[in-house]
Amino acid sequence: MAVNWAERISAFSRSPSRFLSGTTAEAFLAELVRELRDDRASYSVKVLLLSPLCESPILLCPSDSVGEETALELMSVFAQCPPKFVDFRCHLLLALTSVLLCSSCMSSCSCASQDFLDLLLEIAQDISDIHGDGSLRSLQATACDCLRELEACCPGILSQRLELLGALRQRETSRLHQAYAGLHTLVLRNAVYQLTQEAGAGAEHLKALLGGNTSFAWEADQDSGLMNKKDSAILSSVILGPVGTVPTLQTGPDCKELRSVLSSLLEESYLLTPLCQAALLHRLTEVVAMVPGVPPAIFRAQLLRLLGTSEVCLLHSILMMKCAFTDSLFSAEDEAFILKRLVVLSQHPLLNTPPKLFYMDCLLHFPENRPINCSDGDETLPVLLTPQLASALVPTVFNDSTTMLTRFNLLCLVYLEEAEEGVGEDGRGLAYLYEHLTSLMHIVEHGGSREIVVTFFRAAFLFLSYFFYVERYSNSLTDKLCELYFHHTQLAPHLINLADQTQDRLSGSTWGVGLLKALQRAITEAPLSQLTVHDLRWHLKMLARVAEEGEIPQQNTLNFLSCIITPSSSSLCVSSGWRLGNSVLGVCRRLLIHPSLDLLLIPLADILQHLTCHYGDTDIQDHARLYYTLLTTLSREKLASVLMQGEIQGGQQVKKQSLSCIMAESEGLTAMLTVHQTERAIFKLVEVNSELEEKMQADHESDLNPNETDTCPDEATAAVGAYRAQFNDPDFASEITLNFQLTHIGAHDFRFDQLFSIHLHFSLMDDHYEELSDISVPCLFRERPPPVVKLHLKPRRPYPTTLCASAIFTTQDGLSWHTNLPDIHVDFQQVFMPLPAPQAWGRASKLCLFEGLWDEMCQESRENDCATSRFCCQLKEAALLALVEKRFLPFLVSDLSTNKELKVLLFLPPQSHVLLKIRSEEDAVHFDIATDNWQLLSHIGSYLLTITSSQEDMQS
Amino acid sequence: MSLRALWIISRENGENVSTFSRRFSTVEHRAKKLAGSAYVAVPEENTVLQLLLTELGLTESDKSYVALRDDCLHCRRSPALELRVDGPGKRTLWPVLAISQGPLILACLPLVDAPPEPRPPLANLLSVSQGLTLLAGLETYLLGSGSKLDSEGLSSRLAMLPSVLLQICPLGTPLDVPPLGAPATPIVPTPAGNQKQPSWKTGLHRGRAMVNVALIETVRSMQYGNQSRQDLWDVYGTVTCKCEVEGVLPNVMVTLTLPPNGSPLQDILVHPCVTSLDSSILTASSVDNCDGSAFSGPYKFPFSPPLETFRLCSYTSQVPVPPILGSYQLKEEENQLHVSVILKLHESVKNSFEYCEAHLPFFNRVQMSVVDVRVSAGQLDVSKEKNLLVWSLGQKFPKSREVTMEGKISFFGPTPGPTDPLYSDLTAYVKLHFKVPDMTLSGCCVDQHSVQVYSSAKPRIVTSRELQSKEYFIWNSTGTAPVSSGQMML
Repeated sequence: MAVNWAERISAFSRSPSRFLSGTTAEAFLAELVRELRDDRASYSVKVLLLSPLCESPILLCPSDSVGEETALELMSVFAQCPPKFVDFRCHLLLALTSVLLCSSCMSSCSCASQDFLDLLLEIAQDISDIHGDGSLRSLQATACDCLRELEACCPGILSQRLELLGALRQRETSRLHQAYAGLHTLVLRNAVYQLTQEAGAGAEHLKALLGGNTSFAWEADQDSGLMNKKDSAILSSVILGPVGTVPTLQTGPDCKELRSVLSSLLEESYLLTPLCQAALLHRLTEVVAMVPGVPPAIFRAQLLRLLGTSEVCLLHSILMMKCAFTDSLFSAEDEAFILKRLVVLSQHPLLNTPPKLFYMDCLLHFPENRPINCSDGDETLPVLLTPQLASALVPTVFNDSTTMLTRFNLLCLVYLEEAEEGVGEDGRGLAYLYEHLTSLMHIVEHGGSREIVVTFFRAAFLFLSYFFYVERYSNSLTDKLCELYFHHTQLAPHLINLADQTQDRLSGSTWGVGLLKALQRAITEAPLSQLTVHDLRWHLKMLARVAEEGEIPQQNTLNFLSCIITPSSSSLCVSSGWRLGNSVLGVCRRLLIHPSLDLLLIPLADILQHLTCHYGDTDIQDHARLYYTLLTTLSREKLASVLMQGEIQGGQQVKKQSLSCIMAESEGLTAMLTVHQTERAIFKLVEVNSELEEKMQADHESDLNPNETDTCPDEATAAVGAYRAQFNDPDFASEITLNFQLTHIGAHDFRFDQLFSIHLHFSLMDDHYEELSDISVPCLFRERPPPVVKLHLKPRRPYPTTLCASAIFTTQDGLSWHTNLPDIHVDFQQVFMPLPAPQAWGRASKLCLFEGLWDEMCQESRENDCATSRFCCQLKEAALLALVEKRFLPFLVSDLSTNKELKVLLFLPPQSHVLLKIRSEEDAVHFDIATDNWQLLSHIGSYLLTITSSQEDMQS
Repeated sequence: MSLRALWIISRENGENVSTFSRRFSTVEHRAKKLAGSAYVAVPEENTVLQLLLTELGLTESDKSYVALRDDCLHCRRSPALELRVDGPGKRTLWPVLAISQGPLILACLPLVDAPPEPRPPLANLLSVSQGLTLLAGLETYLLGSGSKLDSEGLSSRLAMLPSVLLQICPLGTPLDVPPLGAPATPIVPTPAGNQKQPSWKTGLHRGRAMVNVALIETVRSMQYGNQSRQDLWDVYGTVTCKCEVEGVLPNVMVTLTLPPNGSPLQDILVHPCVTSLDSSILTASSVDNCDGSAFSGPYKFPFSPPLETFRLCSYTSQVPVPPILGSYQLKEEENQLHVSVILKLHESVKNSFEYCEAHLPFFNRVQMSVVDVRVSAGQLDVSKEKNLLVWSLGQKFPKSREVTMEGKISFFGPTPGPTDPLYSDLTAYVKLHFKVPDMTLSGCCVDQHSVQVYSSAKPRIVTSRELQSKEYFIWNSTGTAPVSSGQMML
């Protein structure tokens, strides 16, 4: 059967965990390796097969030994692959690198990794193809990439090969020199780093290293190899700004060799692509930073070219040089120039947004020659970034959201300094920022999109976080927001969020409470005659939030509630509806725990009583009654402790069905009513020995004491006739039953330890079978024995198939979930049934039937679906018997012990038969096959192949 | 300097689906070692997709407020996103770079090769700028540089991606951006000699030598017609080259010159193939106070050209006047608008356009019914369903170099016209679209004879220049322009 590899591989890469829940990593790896070795598979498919090994080697090779074994397999595939399949060979090298590095074979210097390193170096040095078609060159480029990655992951592994790598780089004139240069630089950098870590290392060591060409690090010196160390510092960039300290190697001024290597690399840097050039410059910057003997001026010749560049990564490498060398390479003038350049680039009309954002970020982390404060990580303004310079970056409403917020933040920082120093001309900068905020609000007011609404609130938060103490603006903002809320009450969640966050983040600011107070005033003082149901919903949400503030008096809120629930001619009256009632109760519930409850007691009790008696929804009435009872009977402390508990739990995922939760409104309830989707499969169906098999085994044993009666036919045609007559009943022997256990899979997740009311649903991928009905399982507990599930399959055509299964179930906390189970594969042999002969028949009658059917099938093969065939294989007598006993015992018609020729009758519902005559000839075992459904031949053929070959394996 | 993973997400039938992803396992291996206990693994594709869309504000578009998506605290201020892998307050995957363009979202996760705590600034991570470069390159490769989307080409290029990545980012370390046009040719060794071939040059040109240099200047403007607001305009130019010259590393030099008293070219950015620069070329900057003594050319750019068309350099320039000065006045009476527009072409500008059009859109109103508007020159097209007037001025302004539009528009239509919350009340604009061949506002030009090619064959040299408009707005002076006055603090 052809496997659609493209689909399988993409399923794997989409979700390896889900894919592997349907099979095992071991099996999948074996399949991949087998297919890679298969000569019939095309090379484009083989390239595809390598991608799981490249992307998720740890999943497939979880241990060193599996990694090692897989690597050896892949290397032998490589050795056998003809050179013209360059793409495949390149991908093989990548897969090998991934497997060896990730399974840590490389760091433990396994045999396969040594062989692989030798192979890579051999490819890298190969000069046989110098005037060829270039296929070797591609392979060489990939080999260099692999070597570079090995060196990157196991630093120092190639440090003894520096001279060789340098020579290879210099020799190469094709585009490939870039690959050699990248490799050479990285090895050089790591080697120098290693020397800095060795006590007493100096110029001599460096010289020896540059000239060295012995072997891999582990052979040379097992102990000094840094790759054995757990320390990851060598992987990290050494240029870390003011806080980082660079490890140094004291060489004195005489390091000619290093200098000449560096100059030659720098000279050719122009020939590299910008991405490789940036990487090279970064590595060389590190090297020069580590070796004080080499002056940073070595970079000077490149600077102008790089300062003028339009490439973001090249300019970035300049910034990193600046960070590493400060005024030993960049004068104050240079610094001013670079800063101006960054401002220009941050708003350049020809650049896209992401690099501009990057440049702005660099402005806030500018590597100054003489930084005033060394706070790393925090955003700080460089001294040279004056308000005048920064004015090029003022935000406008035409900016996209991110740019606008980034500029807004930057300008806030600029004017914060100005405001603090009091030098701004009457705070014009601040005025501008506020004006910008109001123009954003203006757009929101006129129906701006969701994005602009969110952006406005973010800008408002930024503004407040810097300038909340400037009351002129923060008060005005409060007023404007109240006005905005009145025109757009649906902004309530945004306003609540703004209040929450300012309260949370801005210690010392009472702005959030002020806003809430103002909103309460605005809501409660507005004329009730204009109130709509839509607005009321949001008002209640808002008032509920206001009620959480202990310092805000709540009398107005109570008055408002009282007004809206009592009927009046002039205004809206809330008298029914579960949702609205719930919102009213939401406010009441918070008031019940308000510190000023004593003052609110009577009006609150009135409201609750009114709801209890008059509200048009029983549920709300009940809740109101409960609150009323709580309010009037419990002491304040008790009330608070009961309700506070609910408050805390309300915010969490798992809910206990407690009193307080019933009372709390909304969110919890939607969670209860929704069916959630699990992220991965929670359980699966595992096949267990089918009962049928066991029963048949017993039947067979009973056959051994023959008790034939007269009613049993002993003549072939009669037997066939009697047998066929049974099928007049359409339900006769039309069903197969498969037994499964339902068991947990995957990582332990306490939420799913106890599952209830599991409802399994099956769907078919083809139409070979009748639709299956759903199955219910009462419960599944992790610690208890798994429940058994019987699947009744009714074949239309007895072919192998795959079933998709899904389930809905309930967890202990009352939530409902939907999940998918791993697919269920129904194999061909699972459809086999023993002969459905009449109960009373003994062996003789069955034998008659066998002969009758056999003759029919051999004769009629031309006219209908009958067919005969033969399968041969090499099996010893004992092995054959073992095989038959293991696979065919329930289906055996002849006697296993006496007969030379074994007769097996496989019945496949609804009405197909496969008859086998098995006998050992001199040279081989012959399986003569006869069937009344020729389409089964291929299935039986492959089944026989599988079982006989596995039998052979067992023998050997 | 490597990437841990790469994702490409495309919008299909209104939904964002992941169409390509690549994880670089060896870089992940390094990430694990580097971050130690602070390591956060990359989640599976679907999870990443959801988290990424949440950060970009693209999830649950039917809901006006979702806490995870819209929290005002969670304000993105850099190109690096933070994916909250375990819900809010827990571990995050950082720095995820994302570019959203057309139907695609491209994202990658650069390796942080620095101690994870405290979080290092982006400026310390070379992998960030490399990631940005790679994403931009992939974007151009997949979508093409043109404005039109070619969905068939897109899917075929997506299918090519695995083999493209083998060349440009084999083990998560970006080496180059994807080649445009023809697929990458195999590395063929150069014929002879010791000159190394540049790695950015995919092959060698053979045949007739040709150099084409095109200079395009773009002018943008915001004119308010208001005493309290200073009008704004700026000019930037790009020089695009296509060079077909033989040799492994041929030398070419293009020189830009300014007329006497021309204001210096500023903010010059050059292509990486430029071999050297004079420091004086880089000194002038638009964010600086210009001093008259600044260097004003000639600007020499020696370079060795790649095979494809490339942007040799770009600059900005400060010109004293905008090419077209406009005024726009609207007066509202009941459902009628009185419109008055005057456009003056500056005398220094060549009166010979390829096209020149003024667009007057009207937002947030019902559809226009009666349009009674006269123009002193050109021709007026009215699109009532779009509430748009298009005034085509053709190739020339009249001799007076001034044109006017005057009249009334009534809005009585039964159906509402287009809306835009930015343009409420009398906030309205005229937008100009024009192109003038063979001229630049800065006066900058590339003389055909100044292009020098140091090679054996004498090449054919073609140079051209033109001026075009972009975002050229004239705001109604009786309404509020949506740009704060603060911009004029300079």
